[in-house]
Amino acid sequence: MKGRLGKGLAALAAGMVLLSGCASGKAPERFTESFVGLFDTASTVTGYAESEQDFSNQMTRYEELLSEYDRLYDIYNDYDGINNLKTVNDQAGKAPVKVDQRIIDLLQFGKDVCTLSDGRVNICFGSVLSIWHDYREAGLEDPAAAELPPQQALEAAAKHTNIDDLVIDEPSGTVYLADAEMQLDVGAIAKGYSAQRAAEKLSEEYDINAVFSIGGNVTAVGWKEEKEENPWVIGVENPDGGDYLMTVSVPAGMSLVTSGDYQRYYTVDGKSYHHIISPDTLYPAEYLRAVSVLASDSGLADALSTALFLMTPEQGKQLIDSMDGVEAVWVTDDGVFQSDGFSQYIR
Amino acid sequence: MEKKRWIGKRDLWLLVILLAAGGIGMLILFLRPDTVDGEVEIAVSGTIVETLPLSEDTRLVISGANDGENILVIEDGKAYMESASCPDGICVRHTPISKDGESIICLPNQVVVTVRGGEKRDVDAVA
Repeated sequence: MKGRLGKGLAALAAGMVLLSGCASGKAPERFTESFVGLFDTASTVTGYAESEQDFSNQMTRYEELLSEYDRLYDIYNDYDGINNLKTVNDQAGKAPVKVDQRIIDLLQFGKDVCTLSDGRVNICFGSVLSIWHDYREAGLEDPAAAELPPQQALEAAAKHTNIDDLVIDEPSGTVYLADAEMQLDVGAIAKGYSAQRAAEKLSEEYDINAVFSIGGNVTAVGWKEEKEENPWVIGVENPDGGDYLMTVSVPAGMSLVTSGDYQRYYTVDGKSYHHIISPDTLYPAEYLRAVSVLASDSGLADALSTALFLMTPEQGKQLIDSMDGVEAVWVTDDGVFQSDGFSQYIR
Repeated sequence: MEKKRWIGKRDLWLLVILLAAGGIGMLILFLRPDTVDGEVEIAVSGTIVETLPLSEDTRLVISGANDGENILVIEDGKAYMESASCPDGICVRHTPISKDGESIICLPNQVVVTVRGGEKRDVDAVA
């Protein structure tokens, strides 16, 4: 009797320990880590792991992978021992530059995106974009003296943006800008492209269940709480600030990317000028306030969000409807519109 | 006979007491408000420089990278950036944060302010 009761009490105690979850150690914990300095933006990763150390190891590796892409695709800085896009720009009209395969892959993708967007997203638009970049930086530094770029300078630069002058020689691994005045700017595609490739590489090395936000470029790898079919909850930023516009369920392997007029801008005489420049007007596009794209590749989602920002919602919807597995939501002064399949993701 | 009954009674009491103690313990664990644990972690260039409780109102001057300076305010359980030396002011326009994992980031000064613990966040990321 004594023995049986003793066993009963032991079982009860064991049951209580299990119930409280103290002894199991199986439930994955949630962690968040942020870092600055890559792709000129702020990044935050939220994910689930067995321990803080495990998560920290994954994040160290992710930052390492992402920073390799950041250096290769950088058009502003030189790095010892590597040829990057700045090297290619510096050698415009002079000589082909031997580059890493990852640069070739990005530039090929850039050519595809140019075709897909009917020339609107053009990685050879650097000469025009660098003028806007300089005026924006100066205007942010000294708001009272903020100025708009002279139309003449923009038009002169726009003459050197023909993507056919970007010569990629795959067999020899070189890239050459045949127009000496042409400059590459991969700002519309590099962040998303790199976020996707780095996450894929990381997944080969670790079991990843996390959502990566590289400056608002959100990529979901694995499932929330490590539970199969449990999607991540992503807030879509409201262009006017405050509460989210909506929250969206993003399943494993999908990315959500937003382009908006509120992300990067400066103010001249009380009017805001953002960073997404139309190849037609050479001025910031004014069709939309923001647009978010959901796709299975974050590079494509990134490129499409810029492409859609540079066209009317009607033109954009036509483009999205013509593609498989891609959805979008548009924010204009007249309201919020979405593609036919987007509603299934809204929470 | 007598011995058996004695064990039975005492064991029963022990059982009741253990169950009650366990029950109370679990109640405390489950009902404890999460907000008690909310803290604000401040990192500059990737290094944590300060951790402050969300429950105490305070005003902190942060020395950021490139001689930058940010002023962080904790008020009514929420943290926000009052001012920043950087030109874009994105961090100052950011809505106040109070939930686990929410962050305000000042890129030029490399300042990252993150809430650790406390109330659960309703989203996993923002696009």
